[in-house]
Amino acid sequence: MSDTAVFNAKSPWSGGKSPFAVSPGKLMMWVFLLSDAFTFSSLLTAYGCQRFLASSDTAPMKWPDPSVVFNHFPFLHEHLPLLFVSLMTFILIYSSVTMVLAVEAGHRMDKKSVLYYMFLTILGGIAFLSCQAWEWTMFIGGTHEGGIINGVQVFGANLNVNQYGPAAFADLFFIVTGFHGFHVLSGVVLNIIIYVNVAAGTYERRGHYEMIEKVGLYWHFVDLVWVFVFTFFYLI
Amino acid sequence: MSQAIDNAHNDHHEPSMTVKTIWLVFWILLGITVLDFVIYFMMPKSGFRNFIFIGFGVVKSYFIVGFFMHMRYEKVRLMAMIILPMAFVLGLIAALLYEGGVWSLTKWME
Repeated sequence: MSDTAVFNAKSPWSGGKSPFAVSPGKLMMWVFLLSDAFTFSSLLTAYGCQRFLASSDTAPMKWPDPSVVFNHFPFLHEHLPLLFVSLMTFILIYSSVTMVLAVEAGHRMDKKSVLYYMFLTILGGIAFLSCQAWEWTMFIGGTHEGGIINGVQVFGANLNVNQYGPAAFADLFFIVTGFHGFHVLSGVVLNIIIYVNVAAGTYERRGHYEMIEKVGLYWHFVDLVWVFVFTFFYLI
Repeated sequence: MSQAIDNAHNDHHEPSMTVKTIWLVFWILLGITVLDFVIYFMMPKSGFRNFIFIGFGVVKSYFIVGFFMHMRYEKVRLMAMIILPMAFVLGLIAALLYEGGVWSLTKWME
């Protein structure tokens, strides 16, 4: 009996401490992110499926070329494909970096630096959302020329019809970038809550800044999803 | 219980990210994105180009998950628990893209 107890005590699964060497909260954040990754994978795979569906020569409508649809840049009238969305990517990567720097400052218990980097992260999130709002406005508004869809002149895009190509194109654009944008919005809200808590000294009293790491995981995940949205919607 | 949590919390901090590593990863991610941009304008549209873009996406996700999300410094069991289930996604991609290709040949026939 006592032999078994000794043997078990050596196993990482014998209880008393986390076998994953992370706190329960962080582990659950990872599991949540895994499920969220499944959701986004399903959405992006559905996009691929619809795109393959429109790829045959007999298809009534061709899948639009992203460089023709997304070629606007604020205050510039030339057609500049990919430039604006690259800027959005840069903003999101940069806000990810400031988030890691906030985590790093948290390890040093440096409250002032945490506040500074969290502020930059929130700013990056808001900048990204503003860019996306502009992108959606351009997409929904469409061009002056519009497009002929099934013999009817169509301007811009909605869930039923769009000037660019198959209805599924705009539908998937709205759901995938919309769902991602909603994640960014939730991230910004979480970041603001954390910011207020840091400012109030909650984590200083608790003795560690682990909450920043948990929210940071979520924030980096949003960045990770954007990498694939960027690849499939804009590059390919 | 809270003692155990504190131990778990302190355990994994020894090998961690330094500010230097963080900025290095940032420059790598930015570099790959710039490379995406260059290839987009320099190379004609092709299946091979798409393959490059997807490969770059995987490399970028390695750096984001490994360094920013700290996965490189976690226990192997945690890595396995989170990353291996993504294999299901590969199955989904294979199935749905194949189906999409077949539908594109049958749906528009009439």
